[in-house]
Amino acid sequence: MSLKYRIAIIVALIGASLWTLFPRTVVERVKRNGEFVYDTVRRVPLKRGLDLQGGMHLALEVDESKGPVPDKSKAIDNALKVVRNRIDEFGVSEPVVQKAGSDRIIVELPGIDDPRRAQDVVQKSAFLEFQITDETQALEKALPRLDALLKDTKVAAAVSTPGAPAKTDTTAAGLQSLFTADTSKKADSSKTDSAKAAAGTAGGPGAFSKLIQQGQMPGEYYVAQSDVGLVTQYLAMSEVQAALPPAKVLRWSSDTVSLGNRVYRPLYVLDAKPIITGEYLTDAKPNTSPTEGNLVQFTMNNEGARRFRAETSRHIKDFMAIVLDQRVMGRPPVIQSAIGANGQITMGGKDLQAAQDLALVLRAGSLPVPLKVVEVRQIGASLGQDSIHAGITAGVIAVALVVFIMLGYYRFSGALAVAGLALYILYTLAALAGFQAVLTLPGLAGFVLSIGIAVDANVLIFERIREELAHGKTVRTAIDEGFRHAMSAIVDSNVSTALTAAVLYQYGTGPVRGFAVTLLAGIAASMITSIFVVRTFYMIWLNRSRDAQTSLSI
Amino acid sequence: MLRILHDTNYDFIRWWKVMAAITVAFILLGLGSLAIKPPNYSIEFTGGTLMQLEFTQPPDVGAIRSTLDQAGIRGAEIQQFGTNREFTVRAQDPGAVAAQSKGAESIAVTIEKVLKQKFGENALRVVRTEAVGPRVGQELRRGAIIAILLSFLITLVYLSIRFEWRFATAAVIATSHDVFTTIAFLKLMHLEISLTVVAGLLTVLGYSLNDTIIIFDRVRENLRKGRKETLYETLNRSINETLPRSVLTHATTFAATLALLIFAGEVIRPFAWVMAFGIVTGTFSSIYVAAPVLLWIERKWPRKTGARPSSSTATPTSRTRRSPATATR
Repeated sequence: MSLKYRIAIIVALIGASLWTLFPRTVVERVKRNGEFVYDTVRRVPLKRGLDLQGGMHLALEVDESKGPVPDKSKAIDNALKVVRNRIDEFGVSEPVVQKAGSDRIIVELPGIDDPRRAQDVVQKSAFLEFQITDETQALEKALPRLDALLKDTKVAAAVSTPGAPAKTDTTAAGLQSLFTADTSKKADSSKTDSAKAAAGTAGGPGAFSKLIQQGQMPGEYYVAQSDVGLVTQYLAMSEVQAALPPAKVLRWSSDTVSLGNRVYRPLYVLDAKPIITGEYLTDAKPNTSPTEGNLVQFTMNNEGARRFRAETSRHIKDFMAIVLDQRVMGRPPVIQSAIGANGQITMGGKDLQAAQDLALVLRAGSLPVPLKVVEVRQIGASLGQDSIHAGITAGVIAVALVVFIMLGYYRFSGALAVAGLALYILYTLAALAGFQAVLTLPGLAGFVLSIGIAVDANVLIFERIREELAHGKTVRTAIDEGFRHAMSAIVDSNVSTALTAAVLYQYGTGPVRGFAVTLLAGIAASMITSIFVVRTFYMIWLNRSRDAQTSLSI
Repeated sequence: MLRILHDTNYDFIRWWKVMAAITVAFILLGLGSLAIKPPNYSIEFTGGTLMQLEFTQPPDVGAIRSTLDQAGIRGAEIQQFGTNREFTVRAQDPGAVAAQSKGAESIAVTIEKVLKQKFGENALRVVRTEAVGPRVGQELRRGAIIAILLSFLITLVYLSIRFEWRFATAAVIATSHDVFTTIAFLKLMHLEISLTVVAGLLTVLGYSLNDTIIIFDRVRENLRKGRKETLYETLNRSINETLPRSVLTHATTFAATLALLIFAGEVIRPFAWVMAFGIVTGTFSSIYVAAPVLLWIERKWPRKTGARPSSSTATPTSRTRRSPATATR
């Protein structure tokens, strides 16, 4: 190849590299005054991994703890669509939502600074149901059975809450009088309830009934916050489940109520069959009302509206619980008249952001299967920034040391190698940008390390040239021979390293994969610069004065 | 012209028995220590939770520990990380890991909650969380083992194509030696075995192999020249001839490693340590493992009688490389 072509190729490579690395305008979400806004920024198009820019990596699988899922792969495909919709609306720059293997979803959210919230948005089932509260006092009827059942298993109960039942009892009377004042409808049952509770303490362990008190509407019961764990345990027992009233479900409220100085969590008995579910929902918007606080307003499609109207007209004066992911949201409102396409979910004391997130997940649709997190990696943006600075410092120092060694030892030829090294750095970065490879912290370390290793090829060649010169060859022949003889060692060693890097790429995850990619890009660039570029530099030098080059500084 | 170790004629291989004793002793020390106590695997391999916390005030480590103990997170390892306001909390206890099968984040959520209750909502900030469920840990462990074995296999195949099998075997044995010494080093230095460290280990293998290949390449060439000398002498000559290159390359690589070790931060430090040790063990094994093993193989399975060493070493590729320049010399 003639010298002209060689120079042309090198210049073209430099041009292409510079073009690839030239800062360009990209649309990015940036945080400004505490809020995320889209903005255009100019930056070098090198993709940074989550460990360098901060962010969150989640791996999710189907959660089978609440029952097996028959077709996991299909379920994951459907869940993937929902998660993708949600993440798209969540608004992160360059998120990744992809399937890994047959049963895993990978979500990568760069720049996320509130990981808990992000995870919630991804993981929330967002299964919305509207259920009528129980009017038949089904739970009261089941209470004797439940008490009898739990009498047998009192050991476990006694162990888990020593002294708790007694406490409930003392407050029960006061509470009851409070209720009788404002709930006329349920006064009778309240009395029987308190009588039962009293009987419980007198005649042995009325274990279940003494933990719950009648609430203010049909199907509503109050459980002291300190007893919630115990009741949940009871309800999870299979014997208890069997003894619970049929065609009814028990659901906790998402809020608590304070009465006097005690905190209670409402427990609702609901008709198991929902009058309608969230599948007909077309839109959901967050809003704030002066009386009810933050809420989410939703709209249903025509069919949903028709069904909703029909069902609610049958349940005038009943109470309708809005159940999201098996939690009753707010206090069930009484149905005054038939409800059409629009409704709202009150958020209790939660902030507007919670309302925004709920509206988002309702719009994006519910998850077909529950998902559980199997891996989380979350790195703060500042830590990523520190890593970049540390990496760059190490890189600069490494370059300085290598340059010092090469110049000190090989003088003029060392300078050529250093020029080659500069191009090596340029080409490697360009290759990383060009192939849209992700630069991770281990990748950055690998790059710094490769600067040290990259000159190996030069060293091999230079040593070879020295040997040839020592054999009495002319400068021109020595250079030719040096390059030719060093070639097999350079190729063999680089190919074996490349093979190792390929294996790492195949079997590594995120950060390590970044390392493998940097290593591969580095090997390619180092072969080009040491064999081709530095050789061309020599040729230019030799050509400058034809036969005058009788000695070589090497 | 500045020259280091030029035209030397050291009899390197003469010392192989001493060197073998030293390296075997080192490996045994490491493996013995492994037998007593298993190595520290990172949470990537065992499953578990790692959190890096930044406090506004230097906290009382005892208080962190007792708070976590009370929350039922036992055996959590609390370590200062950089400044005295930054700590890592590592919950790797089998019980804690099993709890994560329900949701990998569960332990991390608890840790953050109880520490904020204890020290105050704004007293600390979570700057990094890594939580790996038990199943993922298992997969990553398997992946790492496959990666190491596969890279061995591929290397062996490649070397068998480029060199003949005697060289390939010697090179792979030398590289295996580096795996053992590096594992011993990791254990003796109490370094944690993480994915990044495995990546470092594989890099060391590549680097060490480079070194062996460069010496063997010279051996191959010297054999082809057909000097009247034993393989022992050829090996020594080749090591001596490549000595300046070795010194210089190790110097530049070590310079880069040193820069990483000192400036690249805590996360990269274990990787840098592995690399620093790798330069030493890689160089050592190229001279004192690869060469003696090659000699031993030659003695055990000698090349065909009558044929000069050069003809039997000639591989398909080396034929093309028998350039006029070499032939005329």
